[in-house]
Amino acid sequence: MTSCDCSTPPATPRRRVRAAAALASLAAAAAVFTAGCAGVEPWERDLHARADMAADVHDAAIDDHIYFSKEASSGGRSFAGGGCGCN
Amino acid sequence: MQLKRKPVGATLAAATCSLLGSLPAAPAAAQEAKDWNVDTSLLYYGEDNGRVEDVSLLASIRRAFDEDRTLAATLTIDSLTGATPNGAVPANVPQTFTGPSGGGSYTVAPGEQPLDTTFLDTRVALSASWQQALGNSTRWSVGFSGSDEYDYLHLGLDARLERDFNLRNTTAFIGVAYGQDEIKPVGGIPVGLAPMGGEVEDDGEDDDDGDDDGSERGRDADGSKDVADLLVGVTQILSRRSLLEVAYSYGQADGYLTDPYKILSVVDPVTGVPVAGSEDEVPYLYLYENRPDSRTKQSLFAEWRYAFDRDSFALNVRFMDDDWGVQSQTAEARYRWNINDRSYLEPHLRWYTQSAADFYRTVLFAEDAVPGFATADYRLADLDAYTIGAKYGLRTDRGEFSLRLEYYQQSPTESPGSAAGDLAGFDLTPDMKAVIVQFGYKFDF
Repeated sequence: MTSCDCSTPPATPRRRVRAAAALASLAAAAAVFTAGCAGVEPWERDLHARADMAADVHDAAIDDHIYFSKEASSGGRSFAGGGCGCN
Repeated sequence: MQLKRKPVGATLAAATCSLLGSLPAAPAAAQEAKDWNVDTSLLYYGEDNGRVEDVSLLASIRRAFDEDRTLAATLTIDSLTGATPNGAVPANVPQTFTGPSGGGSYTVAPGEQPLDTTFLDTRVALSASWQQALGNSTRWSVGFSGSDEYDYLHLGLDARLERDFNLRNTTAFIGVAYGQDEIKPVGGIPVGLAPMGGEVEDDGEDDDDGDDDGSERGRDADGSKDVADLLVGVTQILSRRSLLEVAYSYGQADGYLTDPYKILSVVDPVTGVPVAGSEDEVPYLYLYENRPDSRTKQSLFAEWRYAFDRDSFALNVRFMDDDWGVQSQTAEARYRWNINDRSYLEPHLRWYTQSAADFYRTVLFAEDAVPGFATADYRLADLDAYTIGAKYGLRTDRGEFSLRLEYYQQSPTESPGSAAGDLAGFDLTPDMKAVIVQFGYKFDF
């Protein structure tokens, strides 16, 4: 076995790498959106103003509770939270 | 999870009164006619094979005081019945399990998946939030959430700040939430990985308040956990027709994260037959599960929405990763078919997959050392799931009525090497199929 190269920094924990990657992705995505979009003028927002273009928060809350109770993941769109001793 | 039924009728009546009591006594002035939005649902969720059924009533009410200030509140009442897997695996012999309070028991026939049939629950949850503008382009909100079950209490606070940029084409947001949950299981908190029924014998007498909190058997009566979440994201209008939302969330939970009602089977590694227990009432050995007391999760979520001239489409994905070894991916699509001005049909597809937690074990083998952490809860197993369904909505002069029908199926996978001996003849992690039926009614006034 060879001796270690003590000048090499210790390995970064996997989780920190993932967190950094996620934040970098988010920052890159944000930069692309803001730089790449010429901007939609307020009078061009008629389609965005339509009710079906907004998330249905009522149904989303119902679904979040069902899947929170039955799967190991939660949150994403909103807070992961806690709040039940689910079966 | 709960073992005693609260009077559902009384709870519903109280909830209805409280909701109606919050409405204005007289019709609002004409200019305020649309200041109130009410969204209600009656939900049925039912699993196959006599497993969990939930009937849930939800009512959301929103009051816009002016363009800058909004108060919203949601009340949810759940009534749960049915049976849930207790974590043990099937066997070629009848298996008897003690109830969580040490008294009472249920027996599972040979070859059947062990289901705990003793739970009933009523859950009441209330959340409220206040949103207010801060200048022309910034909004903040604060919220409260609370829920109460027979053996579980949740209290939480959250706050959110969002700001528009770039002619309101870009909105950035940041939110924080903190919750404190208290669990007080029937029979107290079992010792993790201790034999079921192998603790200090209950003398059969309840303590002074009449409940069995486990103190008679040397258990702690309750446990608690703290959950903190951070959410940051941005919504960007990409074009006249489309927008994209991206959010990153980080969550930290500390405290009692174990399910006190779940157990694991201990079997012979060659024959797959359950190992004998030490107690007469518990002929086979089962260990209470035990999970780490902290969990860190992070997820990345993105949703893209596109408006056609008449219809619209939404697609979202989520990647989740935690320090228990669970990684999951979720993809969801909705197409909103606006049939005419009054009705719509919205087909929905959802796909989900997760890897197992590092400490998930479908079964424990007698010759192996007892691990520090172990669970046989299928929700922490390698799991695939999908949902297919549709929602139909009809707008009338009295408001919008809707009906949503969905089918949900989960397919867990056993941990590698679990099917020893007799166990190879059983489905150790059967699929779970459920239907979701939701009636909705919403109106403004």
